[in-house]
Amino acid sequence: MKKRAWLSRAAAGSVVLALGLSLAACGGSSSGSGGSGTFKVLVYGDASNKVETQIVDTFNKTSKVKAVLQTIPGADYQQKLQTIINTKQAPDVFFNWGGGSIAPFVKAGLLMPLDDFIAKDPGLKSNFLPSVFNSAVVDGKSYGIPMRGTQPVLLFNNQKVLQDAGLTAPKTWDDLLNAVKVLKAKHITPIALGGGDQWPTLMWYEYMYDRIAGPGLFEKAMGGDKSAWDSADSRKALAQLKQLVDAGAFGSNFDSVKYTDGGSVALVAQAKAGFELMGSWYYSQQQQDNPDFAKTGLGYTAFPTVTGGTGDPNDVVGNTNNFYSVLKKTKYPDAVAQFLKLQYSDEFVKAQMAIGNLPTTTNTQNFLDTSASPAYSKFQYDLVKAAPSFQLSWDQAYPQTASQAMHTAVQEFFDGKTDADGFIKAMQALPTS
Amino acid sequence: MTTTTSADSAELRVARRRSVRRSGPTVARPGFAWAAPATLFFLLFAVLPLILVAVLSFTSWDGLGAPQYAGLDNWKALVHDHTMIQSLWLSVLITVLGVAVQTPLSILLGVWAAGRQRNRAILSAIYFVPLLLSATAVSILWRALLDPNFGVPAQAKWLFGDGNLFGKQASAIGVLVFVGAWQYTPFHTLIYQGAARAIPQVLYQAAQIDGAGRFRQFWHITLPQLRNTMITSMILMVVGGLTTFDTVLILTQGGPGTDTTISAYYMYEQAFKSFDFGGGSAIALVLVLAATIISLIVVKVSGYDKMRSSSEGL
Repeated sequence: MKKRAWLSRAAAGSVVLALGLSLAACGGSSSGSGGSGTFKVLVYGDASNKVETQIVDTFNKTSKVKAVLQTIPGADYQQKLQTIINTKQAPDVFFNWGGGSIAPFVKAGLLMPLDDFIAKDPGLKSNFLPSVFNSAVVDGKSYGIPMRGTQPVLLFNNQKVLQDAGLTAPKTWDDLLNAVKVLKAKHITPIALGGGDQWPTLMWYEYMYDRIAGPGLFEKAMGGDKSAWDSADSRKALAQLKQLVDAGAFGSNFDSVKYTDGGSVALVAQAKAGFELMGSWYYSQQQQDNPDFAKTGLGYTAFPTVTGGTGDPNDVVGNTNNFYSVLKKTKYPDAVAQFLKLQYSDEFVKAQMAIGNLPTTTNTQNFLDTSASPAYSKFQYDLVKAAPSFQLSWDQAYPQTASQAMHTAVQEFFDGKTDADGFIKAMQALPTS
Repeated sequence: MTTTTSADSAELRVARRRSVRRSGPTVARPGFAWAAPATLFFLLFAVLPLILVAVLSFTSWDGLGAPQYAGLDNWKALVHDHTMIQSLWLSVLITVLGVAVQTPLSILLGVWAAGRQRNRAILSAIYFVPLLLSATAVSILWRALLDPNFGVPAQAKWLFGDGNLFGKQASAIGVLVFVGAWQYTPFHTLIYQGAARAIPQVLYQAAQIDGAGRFRQFWHITLPQLRNTMITSMILMVVGGLTTFDTVLILTQGGPGTDTTISAYYMYEQAFKSFDFGGGSAIALVLVLAATIISLIVVKVSGYDKMRSSSEGL
C-alpha cells in the first residue's frame, strides 16, 4: 500500500517535470540549426535602425539563411554586449565603434578576422575610405566593416532663434561667447546640453583640448604620459570651458536634462535653446522627432576656432564610423559575408543618405545629391575630407574600464563640484590600457 | 493526459488522507522533508551565488576570459575607496528618510482606510494603483514629469526654481525618497489597514465612555495596538531601502557625479559598467555584511524575536 502511494506521487512529479522540460525545450529549439537557419545581428538602438531594418529585409529576400535584427537601446548597449558576448546568447554580427571598443574581444579570441572574407571579395575593403576602414584593424588584422555614417561632432543651431536675436552662426570662440550673452539676455538657454547623460558634456572637452593643444596632448596622455593633463595647455582649455559654463551658456539645470530621452533635442527644436553640440546623427534624430524643423530650421557649423590655440581649426572629433564585427563561432560565415557585402551597396548608401547619415564608402560622393539634405551631406563630406585629424571620442579611445570615472570627472567639473586640479587628478587616475 | 493527472491527484488525495489518519493524535513537528524544497531553492539561488561572489572578489575578471587570481587587491582598493564609504552612508540615509516619510503617512492612511466612511473603498482602490506599477515604469514616469523644461518644474517655477532637481545632491536624494514613498506607501497602508481593522471595538467603546476624544483614542489605543505591525512594516522598509536599485538606475544613475551612488548601484557600476567583476563582487559582499548587521540590530532593538501579543487581557 505504502509503496503504491509513493509510486503514484513520483509519477505525478515526473509528469510535471516532463511537462516543464518539454515546454522549456520548445522555447530553446526554435532557433536551432537546419538547412536554412538564422544568424543574429545586434545593433545600437536609435533613429538609424531604419536603415539596418531595410538592409536586413533586402538580405532576407534572397538568402536562405535569414538575418535577425536585434536592437538594444543606446544607453545600455555596451554593458549588455559585454555581458552576453561570451555566452550562448551572443549575436553572430554586432555593432561597435572599432578600435578600443573591440580590442578586449579580440584579446579574448572571440572575433573572426575578416581577412579571409576580403581575400574572396576584395570589395569588402576597397569600397571603403581607408582611414575609416583602418580604425577597426587590430594587430594588423581587419575585424570590422563600416556600417553607418561617419559621425563628426558639429555645432547645431536653431536658425530662427539666431535670426531673431540678430546673430549669425559663430565662427570664433568670441562669437560664441557673444551669442551666449545675447541669448541669455533674451531668456533663452544659449546652448542645450544633455548633462544627465554625461557623454554630451565630454564633447566640449574633446573639441576644446583639440583647438587649444591639437591632437598631440590627448595622444600623449593615452600613450601613458599622464603629465599631459597637468600641462599649461590643459589648464588653459579647462579655464576656457569654465568661462563658458560660468557665463551661463548651458543654463543652470543642464544636469537634469538628457539627450537620450529627447530632452535637449526638443529644447532646440522648440526654440527654447539656441545651440547644441552633438554628433552628426543629430540630424536623423531631429528628422525623426521634428521632421519640419530638421528640414527648414536646423542650422549647423563646425566647432568655432579658438584664438591662441595651436590646434588646426579644421580638426574634427567624433566617431569615424560604426562597424559590424563577426564572432568566430558563427555557424554561417558564408551568409554573414554576403550580408556584409550589402554595407557598400548603392541601396545602403542611398538609405543612409535619406536619413542624413554620411556613409564612408568610395561611391558616397556619387550620391551626395540624393541625400535628405544635400547641403548637409556635402558640408559633412567636405569637413571630414579636409580634416587633418579626426579625434575618436575620448570614452571610445580609452578602455571601457575608464569611461565611468571619466564621465563623472567631466560632469563634476562642469557643475562646479571639482576644480581644474580635481579634474586633472581624476584624468591622471584613469587606466590607459 | 488530463485523465492521468486527475487520476493521479485522486490517488494523492487518498494517500494524504491516509497519512493524516496514520499520524494519529500526537501532533508532531513537520519533518525536515517539508522544508527541503525551500532549502534547496535557498541553497541554489542564495548560498551558492554568495559563495561564487566571494570567490570572484579575490579575482580580476572583465567577463570575457577566465578570472585571474588577484589576491587581496580588490579588498585593498575598496578600503581606500571613498566612494564606497560614501555609498554606504547614502544607502543608510535613503533608507532612514524612506522610513521617516512612509511610516507616518501609511499609518494615517491605513487607519483612515480601516474606517467605514463614504467613498472610502473607491479612494483606497485608486490610492492602491502605484503599487501595481513596476518600479521601472514609475521611475520613467517621474523622470518625465520632473523634466526641468517640459515637466512640472517648468510650470511651477515658484516651487522648483530652475528645476535642476537631478543636478544637486539634496534634491536628487529628495526625488529618490519621494518616488520610493509614492510607490510603496500604498503597500504599507494596506498592512496598517488590516491591523487597524483587527483592533477590538470594545477598546474604543470603553474609551468613549471614559470621555476620550478622537485624538486620544488614536494616541492611546490605535498606536499601541499597531506596535507589532509597525515593526513588521519598518523591517520591510529597511530591507526595501537597502536594496533600492531600479529607481536610482533610471532616475539619477548615481549622479550628479557620485552624489546618489548608493552601494547597490555602485556594485552594478563597477561590475557592469566598468567591467570589473572582482571589484563589484567585493562591494556586494560588503553590502551583504552591512545588511546583515543592520537587520540584526533592527531585530534586537525592536524585539522582533520576542514579539508579544497586543491583545493580552482581552
